[in-house]
Amino acid sequence: MSTMPTHDPYFIDFPGRVSQIQKSMANEKIDCYLGSRLRTISWVADAFCPWRSYIVIPAEGIPTVFTFVIDAARVADDSWLDEDHVLGYAPLGGMDQITLISDFIKDDLNVKPGRIGIESGMSNYLPEGNITQFEYEGFKSALSDCELVNAHYIIDRLSLIKDEGTINRFREASRIVDVGHKAVKDALANGGWKGMTETEIAGIAALAMRRAGSVWEWSFTGGNEIASGYRTGLAGGACTPASTREILYGEPLMVDIHAMFRLALGDHAHNYLIGSATDRQLWHANNFIDIVSLTLKTYKAGISPVSLGEQMMDFAEQRGFAEYMVPGFEHGIGMLGDEWRIGLNEGPFPFWTDPEHTYQENEVLICAMQYACPDDSIGFRYENPIVIKKDKCEVLSKIPLKVEVIE
Amino acid sequence: MGDIMTDKVVYLSSQWRDQVFQRLRSELSPEKMKFITTSVTFNYSNCPNGKDRYLYFKCEEGSITDVIVDEGDPPGAEFTITGSYDLFAQITQGMIKSHRALMSGKLRLKGNMVKALKLASLADRLNAIMAQIPTNY
Repeated sequence: MSTMPTHDPYFIDFPGRVSQIQKSMANEKIDCYLGSRLRTISWVADAFCPWRSYIVIPAEGIPTVFTFVIDAARVADDSWLDEDHVLGYAPLGGMDQITLISDFIKDDLNVKPGRIGIESGMSNYLPEGNITQFEYEGFKSALSDCELVNAHYIIDRLSLIKDEGTINRFREASRIVDVGHKAVKDALANGGWKGMTETEIAGIAALAMRRAGSVWEWSFTGGNEIASGYRTGLAGGACTPASTREILYGEPLMVDIHAMFRLALGDHAHNYLIGSATDRQLWHANNFIDIVSLTLKTYKAGISPVSLGEQMMDFAEQRGFAEYMVPGFEHGIGMLGDEWRIGLNEGPFPFWTDPEHTYQENEVLICAMQYACPDDSIGFRYENPIVIKKDKCEVLSKIPLKVEVIE
Repeated sequence: MGDIMTDKVVYLSSQWRDQVFQRLRSELSPEKMKFITTSVTFNYSNCPNGKDRYLYFKCEEGSITDVIVDEGDPPGAEFTITGSYDLFAQITQGMIKSHRALMSGKLRLKGNMVKALKLASLADRLNAIMAQIPTNY
């Protein structure tokens, strides 16, 4: 069990979060919340749960996490919850996840009958953790006196605006990412790039970030995403797990690295041209830098993804590079497990970003852009966590914005 | 309810319970029990008389302080293990390992699994001592 003094910059009032959830549950007449999404478990338990896990939040009192028994003691050690509130499941009589959790809800929480909130939906993010059809049927059968109702929106609503402790954790994760970028730049400089592969660059960044306090290159896209040459410009692409491709003279290099600090996520992409740059490459690079600069200047409370997107695509059209822009300028971010979707599930496509979502102060998102010209085998990526402010945004990774030509 | 011909006691009888208590007290030192404080109830279904029974152990700072065999509602315990009379009888005689019975779902455990893992070896020691009691099942 981990405790943190309230004056710690990374302090988060987790019991306060639980009270907020319980108030929402009462309003919705939900007797018990059975969370299964990674974002929910991170947000409530403050522990990394890599195995299939669940969190049961009672109408009153402290939640209980259920995770694979081989990791339960470690989760209890990391979480603010004590060992009596982090229980292990296992393939033993009475200890499988459906039986263990159902018995807990019926016998320990005395919810029989009652309304149980579950988390159902779909996601483009593989580790999202929505309840599976098998789990749903299993819980429905084991809790036959209870009604299972979809209630993911309770957590989504409450976790949208970030508190100071969460934002400070994001600031630290971004500081660590900047350390990784510096290590990569140092390694590439003075011909260091010669013979180096994408995977090696990913490892150099990882080592530096781990030394600086990161516990994981958290992204499910292969950890640190490194792309060189034609791989930077794959059409419509914005996902490049590092390959064993060697870095070559005259080619672009995209370094998109990820650090995790207390479940907050650093995510910053920086771009290079290796050896020398042609005028055409520099034209692409300038286009990219200009649109990133304008986007960062435009982000503030009150705008929406669609309004920003229209404005930026108009700019790209005027400058003659709209065809190279992947038309998106953001993705959502939160504590581990909360990625991609912006805002609540209120858009025209279920569980995707709501294009009309109005940004509010202290939302955190990734300002994200992908520029790709497959014909020229060139592309650039920008990602950086930002905090939405009233009239601007705070950019968390501080590496100066430029496409660097590495001699 | 001892068996005069064989000098055996009947499984789950009061004589059997007394022998269990005496042997556990004398053969399991607090050091051997790692000074734990815990309690466990074994719920037996389908006993020979057609009823259900329970066997309850209480251990305080490594000493067995209570063993109860009875019918009805057992005292609250940190762990509850439920299974059939026949299965428990086989486990007590060493014919089936409790681990296998749990893995196959024939026994059902209730309680904190992480703590149960810590106590598993102690439960085996307890079981080994009970297995030494000449018993009619």
